[in-house]
Amino acid sequence: MLASHKWLEELTGLTLDVADVEARLTAAGIEVEGVTAMGEGLDGVVVGEVVSYRPHPERQKLRLVTVTDGSAEQEVVCGAPNVPEAGGRVLLAKLGAVLPGGFEIAERKLGGVVSRGMLCSETELQIGSDESGIVVLGDDIDAAPGTPAVAALDLHDTVYELGLTPNRPDCLGHVGIARELCALLGKPFTPPVPLSIPRVAPSGELLPQTESAFDLGLGSASSAHGADGLLPVRVEIDDPDRCPRYGAALVAGVTIGPSPFWLRYRLHVLGLRAISNVVDLTNLILLGWGHPIHAFDYDKVRGSMIRVRLAADGEAMHTLDGEERKLTADDLLICDGDGPVALAGVMGGGNSEIGDDTERVLIECAYFDPRSVRRTSKRTGLHTDSSHRFERGVDPNAVRQVLANAASAIAGLGGGTVVADALDVNPKPIAPETIEVRMARVEALLGTGYEPSLAERVLRGLGCDVQATKAGFGVTVPTHRPDIGREVDLIEELARVRGYDAIPTELPQIRPSEQGTPELIRFTRRLREAAARAGLTESVNYAFLATSDLKAAGVSERTVRIVNPLSEERSVMRTALLPGLSQNLQCAQRQQVKTFAHFELARVFSPRAGEQLPDEPHELGLLLWGDRAEWYGEGDELDFYDAKAALERTVHGLCGGRIETRLDDRLQADAPQLHPKRRARVWLDGHEIGVLGELHPETVERLDLLGRPIYGLIAVPALLEAVRAGGATQAHELPRFPAVTRDIAVEVDEALQAGEVAEALREAGGERAEQVKLFDVYRGDQVAAGHKSLAFRVTYRDRQETLTDKVVDKLHARVQKAAEQRFGASVRR
Amino acid sequence: MDVVAAFEEGLERGASEYRTAFEEAEDEQALRAANARFVGPSGALTRLMKRMRELPGERRKEFGQRSNQLKQEIAAAFHARLDGLAAAAREAELSGPHLDVSLPGRGRPVGRLHPLTQTKHDLLDVFVEMGFDVADGPEVEKHEYNFDKLGFPPDHPATDMQDTFFVASEGVESEARAVLLRTHTSTVQVREMLARKPPLAVVSAGATFRRDDDATHSPMFMQLEGFMVDDGITFAHLKGVLTHFLQRIFGRDLPVRFRPSYFPFVEPGGEVDMGCTICRRWQRGDAAGECRVCKGTGWIEILGCGMIHPVVFEHVGYDPERHTGFAFGLGVDRITMLRHGVPHLGLLYGNDPRFLNQF
Repeated sequence: MLASHKWLEELTGLTLDVADVEARLTAAGIEVEGVTAMGEGLDGVVVGEVVSYRPHPERQKLRLVTVTDGSAEQEVVCGAPNVPEAGGRVLLAKLGAVLPGGFEIAERKLGGVVSRGMLCSETELQIGSDESGIVVLGDDIDAAPGTPAVAALDLHDTVYELGLTPNRPDCLGHVGIARELCALLGKPFTPPVPLSIPRVAPSGELLPQTESAFDLGLGSASSAHGADGLLPVRVEIDDPDRCPRYGAALVAGVTIGPSPFWLRYRLHVLGLRAISNVVDLTNLILLGWGHPIHAFDYDKVRGSMIRVRLAADGEAMHTLDGEERKLTADDLLICDGDGPVALAGVMGGGNSEIGDDTERVLIECAYFDPRSVRRTSKRTGLHTDSSHRFERGVDPNAVRQVLANAASAIAGLGGGTVVADALDVNPKPIAPETIEVRMARVEALLGTGYEPSLAERVLRGLGCDVQATKAGFGVTVPTHRPDIGREVDLIEELARVRGYDAIPTELPQIRPSEQGTPELIRFTRRLREAAARAGLTESVNYAFLATSDLKAAGVSERTVRIVNPLSEERSVMRTALLPGLSQNLQCAQRQQVKTFAHFELARVFSPRAGEQLPDEPHELGLLLWGDRAEWYGEGDELDFYDAKAALERTVHGLCGGRIETRLDDRLQADAPQLHPKRRARVWLDGHEIGVLGELHPETVERLDLLGRPIYGLIAVPALLEAVRAGGATQAHELPRFPAVTRDIAVEVDEALQAGEVAEALREAGGERAEQVKLFDVYRGDQVAAGHKSLAFRVTYRDRQETLTDKVVDKLHARVQKAAEQRFGASVRR
Repeated sequence: MDVVAAFEEGLERGASEYRTAFEEAEDEQALRAANARFVGPSGALTRLMKRMRELPGERRKEFGQRSNQLKQEIAAAFHARLDGLAAAAREAELSGPHLDVSLPGRGRPVGRLHPLTQTKHDLLDVFVEMGFDVADGPEVEKHEYNFDKLGFPPDHPATDMQDTFFVASEGVESEARAVLLRTHTSTVQVREMLARKPPLAVVSAGATFRRDDDATHSPMFMQLEGFMVDDGITFAHLKGVLTHFLQRIFGRDLPVRFRPSYFPFVEPGGEVDMGCTICRRWQRGDAAGECRVCKGTGWIEILGCGMIHPVVFEHVGYDPERHTGFAFGLGVDRITMLRHGVPHLGLLYGNDPRFLNQF
């Protein structure tokens, strides 16, 4: 909402300081987001009087105009089609003036003739939108040649840009803002009656009194320009819930023409284009009262009637933006005797629009149900100045006042006469409500006392009717404040108008809760920190992506789908973290990053049969690729074992358990996106917690990646379960006796997993075989084809005594024998 | 040569040679080799002493003493020379070329938490220290919890502030618009209040979603929400907790101001501005200046807050006459950008290692 400082001064009758207005409104919740000074940069632009003009000797479209600024005459070249005859007044930018766009006026040769100045249009001075010709001052402007343009046209103003919250429709008009300002300043406020120049032609004829007819109160009667002197309009409301109130007035004998400059300029500073006097006035009323009105060409309203009804499903109408709108049975229409003439509260129809030849103007001022207007506005995509106000709630009880102001203004400006009696059909009156505010409650909520006399003054200032009660006040809230519906709303008003600075700052006593923070939340945080300590960098990706991303990553395509996505790229919720991480990797590879080791810990989504909400467990994903960072120089490519180490370090940041990676038959089903020969199930102390492996070469291709990335996926709930099952780490006594090591090399089939061999050796060694550690893998001449030699170092230790060589030899022989028997391995001693 | 002559000669030769031999040895290995030539298992003196039995009885004692004496002399000389060599080697190292300390450190690279996570943790910690519990809720949420229970009137423009993504699950029948991506973390407020009874002090942070995508809006963003409900909680407490929080994060001297604003689920509602931490005008004390972040106003809007609306209490079965409480919400993204001077939002969700590894 844009607000004019000058207009606010007119309405409040006060001299206001811009910085003060800005500070007070912002501190009261009407945030001033910007302040723009208008009528600036026009030094050197003055009123000029045309002395004479003649054609340009060379250029047909140009004229040489002699103007005087009151003291001197100069000749300027002008290309505008509307140069007035001698005596006409124009705006002259003198030599040296700099126009608002930065254009400097200097002597310029145009077609061989020197021009000493420039006659300006509205757009060149940025004081309006008319670019069809130069500004020619009308009779309404009383200014002698030489008067600065700013003074002549009263251009100085300041425009506030207000960031209004949707609960304050009253401030969507200057009257409401003025009322608010007065309340904040502790000054009385009287709404304008009527808003603008009344010029109602007197007439003797009276209209018949009907139930809905009322006197506009403009102090004069006029003839009705309908047959028989009757107010020639009937209003019928089929749906009083959606249209509780509909007022109409008629102005006859109007001449459509351009608005005077002051009106054009006011609309201009408030961001609207001037169109014609009647249309401009409906806009001025909207910006003034915050109450949209609609002007129909009465002679295009068929059957002399207005009917407010719901559209039929599929019914069509042409709105005045030239579009054909397909409607539903949820859209409210204003119809004449034949069909729709407006989409209620949203936009008028093309068929009843005000045109150049309009003589009789039917003014509508109604109250429509905010929800109904909003649904129609949303459905049609028509967000208008009108719908914006109706859907926030205009004042239903301002109908007569607004109608009177509108009718008098239109008659005044358009030269017509107002039909004295207007219609006010009000099938569902909306009365102001009375709410009690208890002063004890005010203190209980704000944490500080509030002077009752101040409370009364504040509430009255906001337009409330206030009666003292035992506990506080009975407050009757005016209907221009639909946001105030209960006691707490009044407490906010009290706090707001006095200012939040008046409330003290205190720390509360916080009592510890029984349950504290749930384990999963604490665990995911520790897990994240452990992953980072393990050398992985955290990614945070969008939770939504394209179905094709899921397909490429070979992950589940049973999705939670976004019904109204911004784009196809972000239209389903992720079912896995791989697509996001792989996009990060792809990006890194394109940016020539050498090493990539990222993790992400986030929710993934899968629909649950029979449940409204999907399952969204946390997953930990890790993706590694590129150079193993060596000390300096280039390292080898990161592989499965680097990823395994990262996983081990991560888990060991949480617990002392043992990570194992094992083969199993279900991997093809569970992890098809991984390399069939380079993937494993991840176990922690006997619990399955995830999978780990190189991406399948086809996955790499589909994801448009390079090299051999390794992906790991841990189900966080399973990991938590495993860690929880392990319980708190239990301490072991430190060994007091020395260890003895013996090596053993075992030649086995290539397919055999070293871990299996190591485990068998350890078992064979009994509890005194403390550790079996692989220290070499050899393939080559010394070993049969299809075989490998695995060299292990076995550490023996007894917890009770120092082992002798003899005992160790015996133990080691048992281990060797087991290797031979179990794997048919040839053991090299 | 008889054995006596051999002893005489051997002892004499040994005594005359070992010094030179030790002195000629230039390192430990050479010294040990030289030592072994005399007293090693097959050294000259060792071999000689093995023949002790062959000596006539009356000379045995004499030669025995002389042999042992020589052996001790050699041992002493050996150790002296050994120490000398070690000292020389240390001296050489201490006066020699310096280690190349400019080479990089060795070991695996460290990982990093995403700056959003780092900020989130820091913010949560302040509240946890004050006594708040941390809670969490689903990102796909019911309309009821996201809007209705919070008192958003149906078809109200307030929902325009939160343009919503609606979702449908494959194979699950659901009413249109009944399920959505949560537009704020206030859903957790509803869920916690439904599940628990006062006193409550809870804070929650996580992903939220709105249909906005431009230079200053990301369709997914991180929000932090907190609320407190007990007997006798007031707006003054709200001001206390939030002022304390902001000053813990941004510094004790940070100016903080509260302004009225509107959110359907609080009343009175407010917004909190803090001094602009980029231009820090409150420290300079001068008049308005240029600042890209606060546009010269000196203030940055940072938080939304208010006293929990009685309608919310009614929806969760609390008695609004008895319990009062406050709630607040803030953008983790915004605080992250302010703290770290992140120039644009795109960097936060781009996950470029070159960006993330700066933190």
